[in-house]
Amino acid sequence: MTETLPPSPPVWDMFIRAFHWALVLGVALAAISGFFMPVTWINLHIWAGVSAAALLLARVLWGIWGSKNARFTGFVKGPHEVMAHFKDLRAGKAVRHLGHNPLGALMIMALLGTVFLLLITGLAGLGGVFKAGPLGFATSYALGMVALSVHEILAIFLMGFVALHIAGAAYEGLRTRENLIISMVTGRKEFRKNDHDLPEVSSRPIWVAMLFGVALAMLAWAGIWATAKPPFGVPVGPPNPTYAEECSACHMAYAPSLLPAKNWGTMMGQLDDHFGEDASLGQAAIDEITTWLFKNAADSVDTKPAHVFSRTNPASPLAITKTQFWQNTHRNIPDAVFNRPPIYDNGNCVACHSDAESAAFYPANISIPKETIP
Amino acid sequence: MKKPLAIATSAAALFSAVVLANPVRDSLLAGYAREAGVSGFSADAGRSLFLANFTGGKEATPSCTTCHTNSPAAQGRTRVGKVIEPMAVSRNGERYTDAEKVEKWFRRNCNSVLGRECTAVEKGNFLTFMISQ
Repeated sequence: MTETLPPSPPVWDMFIRAFHWALVLGVALAAISGFFMPVTWINLHIWAGVSAAALLLARVLWGIWGSKNARFTGFVKGPHEVMAHFKDLRAGKAVRHLGHNPLGALMIMALLGTVFLLLITGLAGLGGVFKAGPLGFATSYALGMVALSVHEILAIFLMGFVALHIAGAAYEGLRTRENLIISMVTGRKEFRKNDHDLPEVSSRPIWVAMLFGVALAMLAWAGIWATAKPPFGVPVGPPNPTYAEECSACHMAYAPSLLPAKNWGTMMGQLDDHFGEDASLGQAAIDEITTWLFKNAADSVDTKPAHVFSRTNPASPLAITKTQFWQNTHRNIPDAVFNRPPIYDNGNCVACHSDAESAAFYPANISIPKETIP
Repeated sequence: MKKPLAIATSAAALFSAVVLANPVRDSLLAGYAREAGVSGFSADAGRSLFLANFTGGKEATPSCTTCHTNSPAAQGRTRVGKVIEPMAVSRNGERYTDAEKVEKWFRRNCNSVLGRECTAVEKGNFLTFMISQ
């Protein structure tokens, strides 16, 4: 049936195998956290994605200076050869490749490329929408929203590619009567007559490790530096002491960026009936607070809360909790949870959003407190 | 009353009078007395006002106790969960030491709870009650 040749070095070297299964883990974590887990797990999603991207960097370097079956120049083929291989497969006369076959190579480039694009769109989304991460300083909300839409489409594509990749490996394994998944664990494959093999090359693991270390360190440094820069479209002015004194006597200090100037103006004009209480102030205080609110209102701020809460509810234009966005994002939380201590009211954002007063509302900073005895 | 107890009681009364006396509170009380044309106020009437339920004010706040609890010595809580320090002077020495603030909160909260401004008599009684607590 088949002729086994003498023992030879593994087809898949140690790096390739470790990379493959680490990438499986990273993509699985990113996919599970992204598709199924609540958005409060966003940091797990980000770190899974960033780790996958770091693996990608190592894979690219290994694809240049690694072992013969790892090198892009060895397995990446042009469209003619891919088509030729495809035709041979259909005709039942395709040769067995010890390394990647031309179709498999196409799949690998699609997987690696998609992971890379997921990193870029993910960081752009994180930057533009949440004003966080290394692209926060340069990305608008509008661009971030587009990036997140593309990110979601790419994620679905990646799942499709993964399914195709598994199907392809299963098909090739059946066709050549071998377990390709075990091969990706042991690295070993049976050597047979007429196998397509590549000429030996000497890999440069130390050079690749050094280059990877330096590149990763530089990228990490650049990332930390960029993350620390002030976010795009989020002006930071000094807080107003009168606002802090008067308004947060009764409630958390809602950031001015949570409502448009027009709505703040309406609110400041009817303080004698402020959400069911008389909160009237002297004219001087009203003027000072209104000026400050206008200057920092949602109209001039590019954060997600500023955008979503600007679409106020015409029936209740002063209540953030009546906006469509608020209603949608809080629909699974029963009223009883809002009304129990230590929350007491759904207007007490800071009880669950620890960064509410800065108006960041980062998803990882959400934690619904357990009920307390008042 | 037994003598030592009497001495202790007077000492305590003297102590609280010294500690709790405050020129702003005194002048507020004097001002309310002048405005109302009375010579003194009743802590009991202040307590009744504090505990009473009203229907003329805003729906969410039928009484002072809605936010301040039944005990002036206890911490209260606004409708959106913010802590309100105790009203009783013995628990919170800073209470009623800023005349403008006292007037602001009487104006707002009487309007919220009673649906009108409080009279000078009501304010004087209320303040007397809180000083006694």
